[in-house]
Amino acid sequence: MKRKVRWPSYLIAILIVVFFLWPVLYVIFSSFKTLNEISSPNPTFFPDQWTLQSYIDVFQKANFLRYIGNSFFVAVSSTALAVVINTMAGYALSKFRFKGDKIILIIILSTIMLPLEVIMVPIYRVLTFFGMTDTYAALIIPAAATPTGIFLMRQYLVTIPDDLIESARIDGASEWKIFTRIIVPNAKAAIATLAIFSFMWRWNDYIWPLIAITDMNKYTMQLAIANLNGEFSMDYNGILASATISMVPMLFVFLIFQRQFVQGTAQTGMKG
Amino acid sequence: MKKLVLLFSVLFALVALTGCGKGPMQLVWFSDGVEGTVMQGLLDQYEEETGVEIELVSVAYDSYEAKLATMISGGNAPALARVTEGHLTNYQDEVISLEGVYDTTKFANLFFNADGDVVSLPMDVTANGMFVNFDLLDAYEVDYPTGDDEVWTWDTFYTEMSKLDGDDVAAPGVIDHKGHRFMPLIYQAGVTVWDTPYTTTNLTSQAAVDATQRIMDYFEEGFFDIDGAYDTQNSASLFRGGQYGFHISGNWNVAGYQDLTFDWGVLPMPKDANRATILGGKSMAAFEGSGYEQEAKDFIAWMAQDAHHDAYCEGVPFLSPRYDAVIDFGDYEAQYSVFQDEISATASEYSEDWFNQILIVGMYPIINDWAQAVATNPDGKTALQLLQELETELIAAANAE
Repeated sequence: MKRKVRWPSYLIAILIVVFFLWPVLYVIFSSFKTLNEISSPNPTFFPDQWTLQSYIDVFQKANFLRYIGNSFFVAVSSTALAVVINTMAGYALSKFRFKGDKIILIIILSTIMLPLEVIMVPIYRVLTFFGMTDTYAALIIPAAATPTGIFLMRQYLVTIPDDLIESARIDGASEWKIFTRIIVPNAKAAIATLAIFSFMWRWNDYIWPLIAITDMNKYTMQLAIANLNGEFSMDYNGILASATISMVPMLFVFLIFQRQFVQGTAQTGMKG
Repeated sequence: MKKLVLLFSVLFALVALTGCGKGPMQLVWFSDGVEGTVMQGLLDQYEEETGVEIELVSVAYDSYEAKLATMISGGNAPALARVTEGHLTNYQDEVISLEGVYDTTKFANLFFNADGDVVSLPMDVTANGMFVNFDLLDAYEVDYPTGDDEVWTWDTFYTEMSKLDGDDVAAPGVIDHKGHRFMPLIYQAGVTVWDTPYTTTNLTSQAAVDATQRIMDYFEEGFFDIDGAYDTQNSASLFRGGQYGFHISGNWNVAGYQDLTFDWGVLPMPKDANRATILGGKSMAAFEGSGYEQEAKDFIAWMAQDAHHDAYCEGVPFLSPRYDAVIDFGDYEAQYSVFQDEISATASEYSEDWFNQILIVGMYPIINDWAQAVATNPDGKTALQLLQELETELIAAANAE
């Protein structure tokens, strides 16, 4: 039987893709334009005159390789820590019954409603107390446990049958072994989703590094890009080139975990 | 499990112990060009001479307020910061009095607290002025002032610049969409905002209405380009494209325009009843709660010395707020002389009147909103209605404290 091609669906999908991809492609193509072409009141989508000058300038003017390295270190460390802590917390809240477990879950969930700007000063004060301002730890540790991450893992782990865990206990497995040998392998899709989101959050994070870091050698990519913007002037070429560079790692992370990400978002209800 | 608890306790204790030290003395800074590099050079020199290290913390201007506010309210105030008039108004309770730290009689553009103490060291002076694209003006045979004492009137300016109407012209010109750039046009009409400060204004006078109407007409006709010119950065960016005859902005663009591919320069702004510009500028302030209050004062005293202050203004370069300063502007000499001339031609009553606006929290945003309403006029109001609204809001803001 001949399969019916659903052209209207494809057409709508293509239109949506173009709609969302257009600004991204505009940024990428504009990063290859000359300064005068970017400033033109009649901008074009493709460069009239292709140039790599913006990229050369970005690496000459500032230590962008270092900033990329800093962002990578922070995003990877933070993601690794977030995966461990959020998975453990999610496991505890989904499979253990103890006094106040539901209240703890509600308290954690309620913090999702609080934007960072509200809790920024208290967190900053805690960091100041511990002398952690202007350290990489200030970027990694506060982001280790996120309410969204805990909720995501908890929602996924609830679907793992309790019988599986009970059987392991009867067979004499320790709680640590159950966690590492049963829970983690069964939660790969959710972990991949959490890892991608966590990496993306940390890679794109601007406000928190802005507050926590003062030494330019510890600046992340986003801070360095923002620094190209002055009170009266804006280095459009530099911003476009560095923004394009900053997209690349995210693209690789997504391509690597693509399959697990789609599976994980479908099963946890996360929409990003 | 016990081992795990023990491990976490040790880690926690180690982290807590690392917090007992005092961080380095910091100068929080924002840059538009090379100011940060020039200041870093002076900080290195200061360290060589005194052994005191000061860390330059460079922050993007858009995020500057958030960074400063969090540092101060988070109990980690910087020792020093580069500040605008707005910052000094917002942090008037946090900045340290600099009375007796340096000789204030040598400087213009000083800021004082409620007790009459000076609270910052003026680092540079900015003035509004007009950049022109000579290639475009010559191509369209625009007759522009060439002599030192020649100044356009707004009418002749309009007539001449209206010649720019070809395919290679987006609009005759752009003006930064900020109240700071619109207000000189009111002062040029001979109008001060305040008749009696914070009680009665001159904003509904015929001269003010006429000046405002002129701006509104210019935007409506497209003489001033409205497209994209919603803030300073965009109008500068538009001018860079080479399709505008003029850009009404300020001296900070001189250095930034050096790489333009067309012939450009600075001309005096047109006059109305008189000539007028508005002064602005940045200064350096010291903050309470940094733990380096005395060291911060010491650095400001060092920075206020003639040689060090001039080295900063010359290095960027900037117009100097120091009365006796002789700055070598190098390649920028011709452009800066026009800005200096604009300042000299401005009566002191206008500078003093402008200060009345920036000393009150919230007044400058009101003027910015007025500027946006004048440019876009979304509700189709008359010039008089817009000025009446401005008057009401300014008096309310002044008396809200």
